[in-house]
Amino acid sequence: MVKIGLIIDNYHFERKVTEFLKYIKSKADLNLYLEESYLLDLSNSNFNEDVFFVKAKGDLVLSLAKLIERNTSIPVINSSKSIWLAFNRFLNSTLLRKAGVNVPNFSLNPITHSAPFSEYIVKNVADQNNYAFKAIIEKNKGKLMIKDERAINEATGGKEPYNYYYYQEFIKSKWEYKIYQVGEELFFYKQIPILVNPDKMKSRIKIDEIAELREIAIKAIECVGLKIASCDFLQSKNGDYFLTDINSSPNFNYIKNGPKIVADYLISQAKK
Amino acid sequence: MKIGILSKRETHFTEKMKHYYEKLGWIVKIYTSKNSSINEKLLENDFFILKSKQLFYLYAGYFLEANNIPVIPDPEISFQNKNRIESKYLAKEAGFSVPKTYLGTVQTIKNQIKKSEYPLILKPIMGSGSRGVKIIETKQQLNGNFDGILLLEKFIFGTHFLAYFIGDDLCVCEKQPLTNEHAEVNLVKHSDEIKEILIRWKNKYNLLFGHLDIVQEDSTNKLYVVDSYQKSVI
Repeated sequence: MVKIGLIIDNYHFERKVTEFLKYIKSKADLNLYLEESYLLDLSNSNFNEDVFFVKAKGDLVLSLAKLIERNTSIPVINSSKSIWLAFNRFLNSTLLRKAGVNVPNFSLNPITHSAPFSEYIVKNVADQNNYAFKAIIEKNKGKLMIKDERAINEATGGKEPYNYYYYQEFIKSKWEYKIYQVGEELFFYKQIPILVNPDKMKSRIKIDEIAELREIAIKAIECVGLKIASCDFLQSKNGDYFLTDINSSPNFNYIKNGPKIVADYLISQAKK
Repeated sequence: MKIGILSKRETHFTEKMKHYYEKLGWIVKIYTSKNSSINEKLLENDFFILKSKQLFYLYAGYFLEANNIPVIPDPEISFQNKNRIESKYLAKEAGFSVPKTYLGTVQTIKNQIKKSEYPLILKPIMGSGSRGVKIIETKQQLNGNFDGILLLEKFIFGTHFLAYFIGDDLCVCEKQPLTNEHAEVNLVKHSDEIKEILIRWKNKYNLLFGHLDIVQEDSTNKLYVVDSYQKSVI
């Protein structure tokens, strides 16, 4: 049987992989690397797995993935660099725009500076922790100004990486499009934007493939280097799609047979 | 030519650089995190000097390079240098010995690292210099308020050197263990072994200037690279 190493944290282990574990255990031998209880020794790279699956984005998780990438030939999905880029909003926006992917205008400003756009969302700069978007919404003269509570807490918490805000220009859109990718397969959904209806799953519907979104999603995911990912898009009033978020650890339970699709993909990627 | 300097301060060395370039007839503007944002407005310059390794400035460097504005030193290399795990990988790839290094939660470290491994040095994953660096002599010292993932390396008992290079010029100072970068140091004659390490480091990563923290272990005379600070060549 194929040996799979699952590099994960408690949050994802307890909430996101129950079905995946049930399925994969019937198909492969599984070794668990739990961030909260694993001691990483940088001088030890004795791993005998055929493939690693990284389902978290903490510092130890990324360092372990990097150690395996550097010192072995075992495939690591997703790679440490791609995960790092995906949670680093400013860096991936910069990279994606350079690659020709439409992203909303953005700016990184010290917290004392005024906002660079009339309508905006302030997001956390590095989306590395496991807590959800919580919008603080203000309206002034018909203009919408949204701040994610996490961004404010991080920016005012005194830690060096968060002395500034990441502003993303607000794109008004009837629908939010969510594209999941597992290897070569893409899955298309849409939902009412979270700012209109915070219960995103209530309005989420599966949709037919949109060729333009397929092309952009593939380009974005390749550019960041992910193999398993999700992308969020908004559509401006003139019909352009804007990539607002790219996620290296999507909840694949939302896809029909998602856990099985992911598990089978990992097995197919095992070291030959 | 219009030059931007990304710097925490407008004084000290940054101010001297600005005056020097202005004397050469160039237009120079200093960008601090207090007076600037990272967006298209930065692109009015032809060239940038990355004077700080704080994340705000590194992000600015990435942004500028992505927009085809040259930045020295290379933001990618500066970032790797700021991340202590990355910098250990770089040192290992250059063929240097580095101290045994562990990562884990405080509970994992207390439960799984043997008593014989102590003392350990606690270092922030992101950082440089002595800020946040602390010696941990017993696991009881880990009973305090430690959050998240900790990076600890085995403390090497020995002589501590700060080894600098600018181009082909080398300079080695001895410092007291566990003192900060502002403590008094003694200039010493460098050994051939330290010279070889510096030259290999410089050549491996094509560096113009930088420095390494090196410890010579008392019991074995072996040299360990315990921290690296690098600047890349244009």
